[in-house]
This record gives sequence, structure tokens and C-alpha cells, in this order.
Amino acid sequence: MPAANLPATTAGSNLPGEDQQYLTFTLGAEVFAIVIDHIKEIIEYSAVTQVPLMPSFVHGVINLRGSVLPVIDLSIRFGRAATPVGRRTCVVVLNLEFAGETHAVGMLVDAVNAVIEIPASQIEPAPSFGTPLRAEFIAGMGKVNNQFVILLDVAHVLSLEEMSSLVTGAPAAAAAAAED
Amino acid sequence: MDLQEARGTLIEEARELLDAMENALLQVESGGDINDAVNAAFRAAHTIKGSAGLFGLDSIVAFTHTSESVLDRVRAGELLIDDHLVTLLLDCRDYIGQLIDAVESGTEDTDPDPTERASLLDQLNNYLGHPHASMGVAATVQADPLERDGDALNVGNHYWHLSLRFTPDVLRNGMDPLSFLRYLGRLGEIVYIYTLTDSVPAAAEMDAEICYLGFEVEFASEADKATIEGVFDFVRDESTIRILPPRSRVEDYIDLIRNLPESPRRLGEILLACGSITQAELDEILALQAGEAAGQPLGTLLVEQRVVHAPVVAAALSTQKQVQEKKGAEQKFIKVEAGKLDQLITLVGELVIAGAATRLLASRSADLAMLETTAHLGTLVESIRDSALDLRMVQIKEIFDRFPRVVRDVSKELGKKIELHVHGGDAELDKSMVDKLTDPLMHVVRNAIDHGIEMPDEREQVDKPAHGSIWLNAYHESGSIVVEIRDDGRGLNRERIRAKAVERGLINADAQLSDEEIWQLIFEPGFSTAEKVTNLSGRGVGMDVVKRNIQELRGDVELSSKQGHGTTLRIRLPLTLAIIDGFQVMVGESVFVIPLELVVECADLGSHDILHDIVNLRGQPLSFIRLRQLFEMPPPPAGTRESLVVVQYGQARAGLVVDKLLGEVQAVIKPLGQLFRHARVIAGSTILGDGRVALILDIAQLIHHTTHDRTTTLPNPGR
Repeated sequence: MPAANLPATTAGSNLPGEDQQYLTFTLGAEVFAIVIDHIKEIIEYSAVTQVPLMPSFVHGVINLRGSVLPVIDLSIRFGRAATPVGRRTCVVVLNLEFAGETHAVGMLVDAVNAVIEIPASQIEPAPSFGTPLRAEFIAGMGKVNNQFVILLDVAHVLSLEEMSSLVTGAPAAAAAAAED
Repeated sequence: MDLQEARGTLIEEARELLDAMENALLQVESGGDINDAVNAAFRAAHTIKGSAGLFGLDSIVAFTHTSESVLDRVRAGELLIDDHLVTLLLDCRDYIGQLIDAVESGTEDTDPDPTERASLLDQLNNYLGHPHASMGVAATVQADPLERDGDALNVGNHYWHLSLRFTPDVLRNGMDPLSFLRYLGRLGEIVYIYTLTDSVPAAAEMDAEICYLGFEVEFASEADKATIEGVFDFVRDESTIRILPPRSRVEDYIDLIRNLPESPRRLGEILLACGSITQAELDEILALQAGEAAGQPLGTLLVEQRVVHAPVVAAALSTQKQVQEKKGAEQKFIKVEAGKLDQLITLVGELVIAGAATRLLASRSADLAMLETTAHLGTLVESIRDSALDLRMVQIKEIFDRFPRVVRDVSKELGKKIELHVHGGDAELDKSMVDKLTDPLMHVVRNAIDHGIEMPDEREQVDKPAHGSIWLNAYHESGSIVVEIRDDGRGLNRERIRAKAVERGLINADAQLSDEEIWQLIFEPGFSTAEKVTNLSGRGVGMDVVKRNIQELRGDVELSSKQGHGTTLRIRLPLTLAIIDGFQVMVGESVFVIPLELVVECADLGSHDILHDIVNLRGQPLSFIRLRQLFEMPPPPAGTRESLVVVQYGQARAGLVVDKLLGEVQAVIKPLGQLFRHARVIAGSTILGDGRVALILDIAQLIHHTTHDRTTTLPNPGR
């Protein structure tokens, strides 16, 4: 499929027409991939502090060399069961742009697999229905070894705007008003 | 010095001077010592002109010169300073501020506001348009012998007199005496110069590298003594430089004659040639000088004269002392780039965390010597932390000082009469908070002027003084700083706020609300009861922004009002945003930190009577809350001895029930970030010695929840 037919993606997603490198990881029984550009580092799961009265997708906070950053349970964010902590559980730390600043956010995954290159020609737009996730979470479907991998749109999956509006249950309108 | 750096200094200095000028002008209006104030304003303008001249900023020099000339005429008593002139001069000050801004942004070649400049210059020239021939007067006065100015015996010379004896080595030191004279010419006019050639030897013995010349200079200038002295900074140490201001006292001339190498008679002739003194004056001076030589010590002479002129001398001395004190204060400060301080604080934060980790390890090792050293280290780290944080503390005066002008301008615009009373300007808080506090405070004060204080006739009708008052007050209270803004205006109108809130759909028409709840409504977004939208306030973007800004600083806002009597707004803020003394408690597996200053006492919960959520603490009822319950954790295992931590915020107290008390800790506050920006109950986080994150509890919210929101549970989203 020609690259020009790719769906328009938001900033922070893969740019059409370029071969991108992706990190693949396992969540539950599925494999997902994200563009490596946003990834700051991958750390072993340890010493997470739970924050009371938070929506359940907020797994807790960790200390990354002196800065405190939130860890999001991706599985719960996708509407599934909480990620069980195991031997291979990892926190993928991403740098996200929000309100003109860069914020580090951790993402809890069952295991990280590999960094692979997916040519633009091997990426297809997400089907308009029948996907297991909210449509805006999907940047595209990548074909790897003749199997489809869901390429996540990190800007939406970990939207601080949306997630922070869920914290404390402040109505979304008030949260938006707080922006100006 | 690097030129760019020097320009930075110029800008900073000019801004300080502009502030001084503004203060002085406001002082004129508020009826302080007018002479002092006018002099201060003049000096500020003059110094700005001088520094700008050094950088060739002609636009500033020209404009400031005109402003300064007007001030000079006020100073000389030729012009009466009235409200109109003060307003004009304040506008000039603002315009000079714009010019300085332009220098900062490197756009000084284009005038920031040519229309304003033309209009200001026009008005200034109007004031200068009635010449009194001030310079012409000097010549005639000069002819008088000894002029008596008040009680002091003065020489009738209107010019500065400079005696310059450069060190013979001046040329070898790489300096040309001529260049100093040339530079001096830029500060004013060299009226007469007498070159002393007395020490020039015969041509054969002359060394081309030695300076044999001395100069006596008559100098007309509006510069002050320090500025003129400043010209000779580079040679002052080795050379003899004597500067006599215009109309100096006779004694000063005697002193001059005594201290110069030439004979008195010869000097007298030179002074005469310069026109510094007249023949009659010279005779009298020499007679006095002779009297001293005849055995009567000059000291006695001076003492006698001082007895006669005691008030004058006292005045002169006190002025001198003030100048010295001011200099002393200046020397006490070092200017440091803010970024460097922030870096230091960050490093100290890391040090505190690393120190805690070390102490933890030491306590595990049970090595006594090690424990002792780490304990000592801990004390040192604590003092370093306190000193480092102290570096960033500034007086709240920095903000308060802007208000006299705001109150003046806004009240003038509205035709109201308002006096501003400022107290507690020396209370200190973190510099980063000062920056963020300015806008909210400005808004509140403008609100008080605009909506609070009534028009003068309206005030008189209700038997209030025509002058409204606004009080700005700052004070410390249990680990917080409180900023209070009070006015004696009309107060909040309960019914109108209520009606507006109903109209806006904020409350139901039949809702029963206490005063406190009604006042809280004005902090709702988009709420404004002003019937008329002025350009000052009343646009409905107001108190909600104020409240949010204050909450972002981990502070809160409290309001009380009495209709007809005024409104008081209290802003309570923590002293610092960086590092606090904390008290660690444990609930389940989690460690929480409570700011130590807010902890009143700790007790064993089991040993007190409990009824529902009230504990009987030495006969006093105290509401408490179990953190486990609040945080929706399972009940504690049987046999847990729960502890009660009594906390206080402002006037409110409450108890927090926890599983375990862990003791004090230095907590470096780490922001929790955007995701948690709406989180209540949690104020921030800190890193423990073992590297784990502990959450800092928001005591204000917890107390509020414990004592008010019992019926409503805390918002619990997403579960």
C-alpha cells in the first residue's frame, strides 16, 4: 500500500513515508509496538509507591535518579485486568510533551521484546472497527514476519491531558478551564 | 569588563534608580520631606543620565536631562511641585523605563514611543519655559565678600573647586592627566583652569616621564560629589585630589590651603585667579589661617565655629552618616545569578537525600563510630540546607513596594481617595514565590480599590472618612507566611453574590449557605458581580485565577467581610517550595510525610476515649480521620496500636490516625507533575533514604475534609 494513503497521525506518532524503529513489548498475551523516539529508557520494576485515591490506571510513582515520575498500568488503561508484577515486568520511561514542557512518564509492561525496523510500506491504517482498543490509541498496524502488530499512538495512550482530568474526578470541563 | 556585562549592570542599576525615583515622587505626594524627596528624585535621574552617557545612549541622556532640569528647578525653589507635576514626572520615569527596556532588548536605536516622548518633552519644556536666569545670579553673588548662608560662614563661589596634584608617576602608570580633565568636561563645564608649573625644573633636569603639573579647576556641574570624585577613581590613591563643592565653608578652604604643598599666600593667589574667592574673602581666610599659625590651634577655632553653627554641623554630619550607612548596606550584598542559586538548592537537595541514605546504612551496620560520624554529618547537612534555603529568601517588600504607585494611579483614575498602609514588609519568603505572588496580589489590591472602596461622597454619607484605607500586612504564623489585604470599603454584598450565583447556576435558588460559603462563591470561575465592567477589573477573570495561583504555591486564600465595613483577604503560603522538615508516618506499607511545622503533638489513640470520629484529648474534643479508611486500605491487622497525630493549619486542628510513627526527616520536595495536578490530599513527594518515594500529605485539605466534608466523601474517580 502506498505511504500516501496512510491515515493522518498526530504529532509524536510515526511520520508517514519514513522507515521507523519500533520497540515491541508484551502486554498480556498481545504484542504491541511504539516508536522508539519517545523512549528515554527501560528500567526494571522495583520500589513503586502507591498513590492513594488515584484512578486504578495510575500504578504509582517511582524515583528515577532523583525525579519522581508516575507509572501507568497500560493494561488497565486499555480496559483490561491489572498487570501482574513478575520477573520480567518492566517500566518503559517515555518523554511526553504536554503544555509546552517535557514530562517523563513510566509505562508498565509485562516484558520488552526487541527493537525492530518496520518499513513504511509494511504499515497499514487501523481498521475502522473491530479493534481491541480505542481507535485513537492505534497509530497503525505493522506487518512483522507476516503477523500484525498494533503500533500505539503514545500521545493518545498516555495523554496527560486526559489522564489528569480523571485524577480527583474533577469534571473534564473544569480541568480544561484550568488550562487557560 | 565585558561591554555586554557592563550594559547589564547599567540596566539593572537604572531600574533600581527608577524605583528610587518613583518612591521619592510618591513621597512628595504623601507629604513626606519634600526637599529630601525631590533631591532623591533628582539624584536618581542624574545618575541615570550619567551612566547612559558613558554608553553613548543619547536618547536617554537627552530626555533624562530635560526631566532632571525640571527637578533641578524644583530643587532650587523656582518651581512649585504639585500633583500635576508629580504625575508628569512619574510618566517621565515610566518612559525612561521604556528606554531602558529598549536597551535591554538591544533596540535602543528606535524610540519605543515617539508620541509619548514628544508629549512629555512638551510638558517638561512648559515648566522650563519661565526662565529665572539662575546661572546669571551666580556672577553677582560672587562679588559679595563672605556670604552668610543661615549661620554658616560660606564662600560665595557657585562653582566646584578642584585641586588636582597628580603623582609624578602618573604618566609612568600609563595614565594621562589630560584625559581626566577631558572626561571631567563631560560632567559639566570647566569654567577656569589654573596650571601650576611651580615644580617644573630647569629644562636640562626635566624627565619627560614625570608629571610636574598641578591644576586648580573651577567647574560648573550639576553632578554630585561622588560622581565628580568618581572621575579620578584610577588615580585617587597616589594623587592628591581635593574637591570643594559650591559655596563651601571657609574652613574647607583653610583646610585646602593647609593640605596642599604650595604656600598659603601662593595658593591664595591661585584661588583668586580662578575666581574661587574674592580678595576680601582671601584676606579673611588668610587672617584666620594666620591666627592658627600664631598659636591658636585651628581645632579650637573650628570648635568655636562649630559651637556657633551647631545645627548646621549636626545636619551635615547626619547626612554624611546616612551616606556611609547606605554605602555599608550596599557592600553587604553580592549579586548572584538566580540560576546558580537554584542549582545550589538542587544539589543540597541531593545531598540531603544521600545523607539520609548514609544514615540508614550506618544504623543498619550498628557500628557506633560510624553512627556518630553520620549523625554529625547529618547536623552539618541540615545547617547547610538551612543556609542554602535562606539565600533564596527575600523580603516581601519587593512586592509591596510596587503598590504605592498602583494605588495612586488607580485611585486617581477612579476619582477615589485612598491611603495605603503597609506593614511587615520585612517578612521573608522564597524568591520563587515572590515572583508568582505578584500578579495575584496586584489583582486583589486593584479589586479592593475598584470594588471595595467607595467614592468620597458616598463614604461621607455613611459617616466614614472621605479617605479610604487599604492595609497590606505580612506576618509569619506557624511555618507559613500570611499576607493580608484589608480595606475599609463597602464590604461584600451577600445578597448580590447569592443572586449572581443563582443566575450563573452555581447554586440552587433555595440553597441555605453560611457567610463563609457565600464568600467562597466569588472564587468560582467566571464569577463577577461588578455591574459596570471597568478596564481595571470586573471582566470575570479574577478571583478564581487568584485562588488557583495561590493553590499552585501550596497556599490557600481565606476571606472575611462585613457589609459596610470592609473586606479582609488572607493569603497563607508555605515559606519555601524546596525543602521542609517533615514527620514520617506509616500507613500499611506506605510512608507519608507531614510538614513538621504543622504537627502539634502525637499520642497513642488507644489510651483515649473515642466517640465516632471524635477523640477526647485531655477533655477537649478533636475530630480525627483514619488515613487507612480515607485511602481505602484494608483495616489494620489486629493488635496494631494506632497513633494519633494532631495537626494544625491556621486556626483549625484535626487528628490523623496512622499505624506507626517513624520520626523526623528532611524532605526535599519533588513535584508530582502534571498528572497529579488536580490531586487533593497529596501535596507532593519526597525521596527517602532507601530511594523510595514517600508522599507529602496536604494537611490543609485533610483538616478541611475532617472538619467540614464529613458527609461528602472525597472524590473517588475511576474505580
